[in-house]
Amino acid sequence: MNPLTSLIAGIVFIVALLIVFLPGVGIIARWKRIRKDRSRELIEDALKHLYDCEYTSVDCSLNSISGSLSLSGEKTAQVISSLESMNLITSHENKISLTPEGRSYALRIIRIHRLWERHLADNTSVLEKDWHSVAEQREHETSREEADRLAASLGNPLIDPHGDPIPSITGEIPEREGITLNNLENGIFAAIIHIEDEPKEVYAQLSAMGLYPGMQIYLLENSKNKIRFEADGEECLLAPILASNITVVPISEKEHVKEKFQSLSSLKMDQSAMIVGISKAMRGQQRRRLLDFGVVPGTIVKAQLESLSGDPTGYEIRGATIALRRNQSDLIYIKQVD
Amino acid sequence: MNKTEEILSTANKLRWEVGENFHDSILESIYKDASEISEKVVTRIGEKPKFDLDRFIDRIVTGRWTGFPIMFLLLALVFWLTIIGANIPSSWISYILVDTLHPLLKNFMNSIQIPFWITGLLIDGAYLAAAWVISVMLPPMAIFFPMFTLLEDFGYLPRVAFNMDNLYRRVGAHGKQALTMSMGFGCNAAGVIATRIIDSPRERIIAIITNNFSLCNGRWPTQILIATIFIGGTVPAYLAGIASAGAVVAIAILGVLFSLIVSWGLSKSVLKGEASAFSLELPPYRPPRLLQTLYTSLIDRTIFVLWRAVVFAVPAGIVIWLVANVNIGGISLAEYFIRGVDPFAFFIGLNGVIILAYVIAIPANEIVIPTVLMLTVLSTKMTLGAGAGVMFELDSTAATANILHAGGWTVLTGINLMLFSLLHNPCSTTIYTIYKETKSIKWTMISTFLPIAMGLIICFFFTQIWRLIAG
Repeated sequence: MNPLTSLIAGIVFIVALLIVFLPGVGIIARWKRIRKDRSRELIEDALKHLYDCEYTSVDCSLNSISGSLSLSGEKTAQVISSLESMNLITSHENKISLTPEGRSYALRIIRIHRLWERHLADNTSVLEKDWHSVAEQREHETSREEADRLAASLGNPLIDPHGDPIPSITGEIPEREGITLNNLENGIFAAIIHIEDEPKEVYAQLSAMGLYPGMQIYLLENSKNKIRFEADGEECLLAPILASNITVVPISEKEHVKEKFQSLSSLKMDQSAMIVGISKAMRGQQRRRLLDFGVVPGTIVKAQLESLSGDPTGYEIRGATIALRRNQSDLIYIKQVD
Repeated sequence: MNKTEEILSTANKLRWEVGENFHDSILESIYKDASEISEKVVTRIGEKPKFDLDRFIDRIVTGRWTGFPIMFLLLALVFWLTIIGANIPSSWISYILVDTLHPLLKNFMNSIQIPFWITGLLIDGAYLAAAWVISVMLPPMAIFFPMFTLLEDFGYLPRVAFNMDNLYRRVGAHGKQALTMSMGFGCNAAGVIATRIIDSPRERIIAIITNNFSLCNGRWPTQILIATIFIGGTVPAYLAGIASAGAVVAIAILGVLFSLIVSWGLSKSVLKGEASAFSLELPPYRPPRLLQTLYTSLIDRTIFVLWRAVVFAVPAGIVIWLVANVNIGGISLAEYFIRGVDPFAFFIGLNGVIILAYVIAIPANEIVIPTVLMLTVLSTKMTLGAGAGVMFELDSTAATANILHAGGWTVLTGINLMLFSLLHNPCSTTIYTIYKETKSIKWTMISTFLPIAMGLIICFFFTQIWRLIAG
């Protein structure tokens, strides 16, 4: 056969393979998506939305459900009537509310969702912006027993990585506390306890700013069109609409420890400093590994050795030389010592 | 009963109150207590010496201008010593096991009137394959592994990982992969075992899958032989040595490039979500413990891997003998296969003999060339070698070249064989080791079929483009 013909045939063959098998966009992946039964997913998502309304004391309507599920009004009405026939919700004069069964079903799904988010944050390298959507998929595929096993393997966590409480097996969940950031007054120290993970775009923006639950902030200015605050020594600026996605609790000045901290990556060669903390953004196995090495508040570190390309850097920690990559040492906070 | 429930519910309430930070707090207080106690009871004698030898060595081996040259020189020295040093013991063992013991055993079997096919299966098949694997594999491993272990014991290797980490971080891997990759140049199975030093799950699997892209010592002789015949043969005689050596080094570097590209691809696709945590300790330097190093590297690495290889070589030897000796209608199974596969092999610039050799010589890359020679002689009906199903090698490169040319080989076949030798499935010893290390069918399958798919694709496109240009 002519080499040119076979060359073209080869390229066509490889492209055809890609079109069929490429994960996510290939024909097989598309076909699987179409085949999937969405009715259970829709019911569970609607229940979650209703529970969310209840938790934040907002009235819930057909419109808000169709908005949150991105469904047409007609389809939403179908979902609602099937929820009613399953005795999971009651509607009364246009106001939809959960029955006790509906509430416990919703809490179960929320529990599974938040457990998955915790797992993704601690035990995998799935990117922060993808936690929510991956958990959104898996919550519908996980049985109650699997969820309990997952919870046990995670050490029965209480809080998901966004700061939301995880309902217990019996469906208990603590009362909501704290205020949203746009309601905080000037000159007050506070700690972030929750960052809302929906809508996705807003969450991506907030997490890109490096904000995370547990972070301590100091409010500099709260005006109508902007909110200015200091977070871990850096000044941040947010529109009030974005700030309303952040929940904070005021803390006393005494508890406030995170004054202007440097990160370990700014330590110069042959200089020493004291560790004051590890950022919450360092999670799971990586965090445990650092704690094992003795990277805990009070430990003295010394920048000892630079790799020939500048990254990683070797630090003397408790008598041993430990190499840390820059993206790790960025998340370790230090204080100068004499 | 009531009491238990009460305690449990109190505990649950308290869990909410202590918050999620308590693990950190406990650890912190443990460290604090421990350091307070040690301050009280441990006395330190004297100051640190002014001249710190560790720091001095570190400055040199991680220095901007000295780090890379030292690394390349040391690795080159280790490889050179291995290749040069292995030749002599290799030919001794080969003389004893293959040239002397094999005919002796065969004559003995004949003298006590054992049927020819039993002799064939046991002596020409099983024994010869095992003998071949031992004679080619043992000496380089027995030289390479102790030297490598000495460098490790001295404390130099962690510094290599430290220096290389920046590059490996960019492709989503761990700096220690530089070490397991170098180990793979000795033997892929040993390289796969060595990935135990990488404690992050994702980076470890990447290192395991890409280890096969390091040209192992079973493949070096193939590369050198084929490069000498086909690359060295195309240039004037005074350039032949340099050209063929350059070609072999180019293939090895191509392997390193592939390992980086595939690492990057894996970390961005199938392994995207796997857990990943970086940690690297730089231990203090210390004088290597010679005897202990020799013992552990010979027993734990060399003998262990060699034993696995022999276990796999024995059944393969039997299969090799059978395909060449079982005839249907006067034609051997091997010839049926070779003729059937030839049209397909043409597209990837190889031939049926090579494909069959890679299928039946899966236990060890060392026996690919002897199998190729035997099959070529068999399928072209030459009167050379030691008979059907008996692997052989010739002392002279020119004679080997004559056989291959008679088998219809061209420069294109030679280059494709070099590419395919780099990019094909790992030997069965390595595949088994990968399964043992990962305990996962999925990763074993990916490690096996990914390189073979790459090899077929690259050989195919290389062949078509070559034919287009050469006309």
